[in-house]
Amino acid sequence: MAKQKLQFSPDNPPLLPLSRRSVLQALGISSTAAVLGSGLAQAAGSAAAAPGDAAEPGAQILNMTVNGEPHSLKIDPRTTLLDALRERLQLTGTKKGCDHGQCGACTVQVNGRRVNSCLSLALMHEGDAISTIEGLGTPEQLHPMQAAFVEHDAYQCGYCTSGQIMSAVALANEPYGTSDSDIKEAMSGNICRCGAYSHILKAIKQARG
Amino acid sequence: MAPSTSVTVIGQGLPRIDGPKKVSGLAQYTSDHHFPGLLYAVPVTSTVAKGRITALDPRAALAMPGVVEVFHQGNFAGKLFRKQASKGKVDENRPPLSDNTVSYYGQYVALVIARTFEQATEAARAVKVEYASEPPNVSMRLAAEEKTSVDTERGDVDQAFTSAPVKIDQVYTTPVQTHNPIELHASVAVWNGEQFTLFETSQAVMNHQMVMAQMLGVQPQQVRIITEYLGSGFGGKLWPWTHATLAAAAARELGAPIKLVVDRAMMFQTVGHRTNTQQRIRLGATADGKLNCVSHDYLFHNARLDTYKENCGEATGFLYSTPNLRAAWSFARRDIAPPTSMRGPGAVPGLYALESGMNELAVALKMDPLQLRLANQPERDESLDLPFSSRHLTECLHTGAERFGWARRDPRPGSMRNEAGAVVGWGMAACSWMAKALPAKATVQLAANGRARVMCGTQDIGTGTYTVVAQMVAALTGLPLARIDVVIGDSSLPPGPMSGGSMATGSLVPAVQAATQAAIDEALQAAIEHDPRFAGKAPGALAFDQMQVSIKGEQGKAVLLQDILQAAHMDHVSGEGEGAGSAEAQKHYSQHSYGAHFVEVVWQPEIARLRVDRVVTVIDAGKVINPQTGRNQIEGAIMMGVGMALFEETEYDPRTGAPLNANLADYIVTTHADAPEVDITFLDYPDMTLNPLGARGIGEIGLAGIAAAITDAVRHATGVQVRDLPVRIEDLLDAPVGLAS
Repeated sequence: MAKQKLQFSPDNPPLLPLSRRSVLQALGISSTAAVLGSGLAQAAGSAAAAPGDAAEPGAQILNMTVNGEPHSLKIDPRTTLLDALRERLQLTGTKKGCDHGQCGACTVQVNGRRVNSCLSLALMHEGDAISTIEGLGTPEQLHPMQAAFVEHDAYQCGYCTSGQIMSAVALANEPYGTSDSDIKEAMSGNICRCGAYSHILKAIKQARG
Repeated sequence: MAPSTSVTVIGQGLPRIDGPKKVSGLAQYTSDHHFPGLLYAVPVTSTVAKGRITALDPRAALAMPGVVEVFHQGNFAGKLFRKQASKGKVDENRPPLSDNTVSYYGQYVALVIARTFEQATEAARAVKVEYASEPPNVSMRLAAEEKTSVDTERGDVDQAFTSAPVKIDQVYTTPVQTHNPIELHASVAVWNGEQFTLFETSQAVMNHQMVMAQMLGVQPQQVRIITEYLGSGFGGKLWPWTHATLAAAAARELGAPIKLVVDRAMMFQTVGHRTNTQQRIRLGATADGKLNCVSHDYLFHNARLDTYKENCGEATGFLYSTPNLRAAWSFARRDIAPPTSMRGPGAVPGLYALESGMNELAVALKMDPLQLRLANQPERDESLDLPFSSRHLTECLHTGAERFGWARRDPRPGSMRNEAGAVVGWGMAACSWMAKALPAKATVQLAANGRARVMCGTQDIGTGTYTVVAQMVAALTGLPLARIDVVIGDSSLPPGPMSGGSMATGSLVPAVQAATQAAIDEALQAAIEHDPRFAGKAPGALAFDQMQVSIKGEQGKAVLLQDILQAAHMDHVSGEGEGAGSAEAQKHYSQHSYGAHFVEVVWQPEIARLRVDRVVTVIDAGKVINPQTGRNQIEGAIMMGVGMALFEETEYDPRTGAPLNANLADYIVTTHADAPEVDITFLDYPDMTLNPLGARGIGEIGLAGIAAAITDAVRHATGVQVRDLPVRIEDLLDAPVGLAS
């Protein structure tokens, strides 16, 4: 018997719940092909909802606010705040760079304070208010810090940028001084491997006024 | 035909057009993609560096919640293929999981697929693997194991060195360095039964397509590679790695989309590194500082199965004038994963050695190192016997020295202080990087909605390609950047250049220009055919500017192209363009970029603190299309150079062969607090032999030479000449310029 194809489409999010057996069975099912473009990735956010109990034994309920919106998630206790944001809520503006709190790419704000979301389990944030880059501003209406980053070319690849900006915005409320060396020290938890540091410094100084 | 506005947009430091998406978290990087039914793949990595797998038991992992499959040699061998030698580039040609041999620590030995990342991660730890292992050789001390090859040779180096009145003979080493872009390598693989759509972290989507098709055993048109945004690569993401083939093959086997994100420890194991180098430099000179010989013998390591060349002699043959010269190389194999290109491959470690040698020769001559360089500038490339296309190194040296204040330098080590009273050291070096262009194609559309769209199978790795391509189109159409859509990062587009070797921009210029011009020609043709006001006119009698067509001399009566197209029921006109690359020009010219670095370090012996405080860099890289993004790149290279000189080294455990400091706390890169003050100048002489704008690349040259300038500044501050990078504080504890001085 010729191997037949599986179908994936936004209308038919298949293979959930998925086990090894169901996948092997599914390999025998015919369908038409769907080419998936990046537009679908956005649409897929709601389709790929959190799996249920049977799929994730031990999952617990987590209630938290993200960018002002309340969320109730059933979540594996091993899930970091970073992975909950990225893989469950599809808030992929927050980036994964090391999973060890060493690079700062995953910086978000928890109740107004900056944290490395990779170092914090999601379930520790019951009742917390999380702010991510998506909640700060949009391309049409940028937060002053975001606008300053664009103006001063305070990035190259842009991958560390969300973390840099979330860090920089939170920094304004921290008891650091305002000299260049104070800002540089306070921003040293956010690595920019492209090395756009002087541009980041200029952007932060402008946005702080 | 080009309107008068064309000159203004080239050379303007315009903000990146992709900036608003990057700062708002909307730019989609590879691992941001998500699909219904997505499964997560986590590799199991080898805990030995040399040996073979004797047993692999996936049962415990398969029994864990959410686990869908565990792939290993027993059920995966034969799913992937080797690529042909001549088609496409890859650094590790052995298909993963194809046999039970292990040739480096961290090699993928199994792949766990589960419904969530957490489930896959825990199950990967539960796969039991037993090995028969042998002690690995990961020694960084190298001896030539292969026949020595000569890069370039003239005169009689050995005789000249023997008789040289003043000479130096030193060995310089650079350690393994790891690219460590902050974006982890990743693949999101989708197989729909007929075609692969592969979201990849790739600096070269076209090559990626060619290689993946061969390794997956399908036709190239069945593979589409997408890299819309790349979280930088520095060479490490040029060629496909084993995780990419694993993810794609797993997607096909399971009929489900697969996401595989390489973790930071694996980033030190399976996605390449800059090989270590061991370079002997022998320089001889007359007493008044004329070089009479340059000898550069270098070694590097390679993996067991694949062969890579770290081309340290790239700039040696032409940087200085000398009648006697040889650059030659060999390598040794180690039980280490395959090395690959890292930013400025070859020239960066090579110029660290050559320029360190020049600085030490200057000391031996009691001559200013700047004067030594100025005294040995060649008139033409003495290695190739070709004229330079555009070389302004002398001006770089003069301009840099002036901006830095080099004339105030007191050559005695430890003799200079800054305003705070701390010891400062000054050092300098020259740099060079090749200027090449690759064949490229592009398509440009001018649409009835008043916008232009440019399409090319290249990618923006953080260098600003989106923006500079838009500038190229703007220059010819007169459109503002806000009305130009740049569509790149997709292998289904007209084949474009890789983002490597600082070649992308220079390769794109002729293709994008030709495509834009062809689209403009089509627009004029449409006007003649469909608009009665232009009927019967010759195309040469018409002008095109800012999406308006007019009769030359009657620009006041211009007609909007969108009105012409709408009346003609046309969505757009389009043009295709092609660039031939620089292969022909290289037969006639020696094409390179040049530059000079001047560095100030601060040395505080009482707390053994050393930092790079100030860098002045002058770069001769042809026409710089966007000075803002260009300056950012040079500055970023200098930041990486600070890391190369003072921090970066991947260390291997001699017992297990494991990279020991495989994380971003122990592999130290330059942080914000380490960042020196930087002053960058572009000379901006267009190199018209390379492309019609005279633009050369700028991604790599800033990292060449900078480490030699820093170690020379360290010597000037401390009296200690460090030849083995990175400079460590323990190298300086006995410094002549210490507490006692």
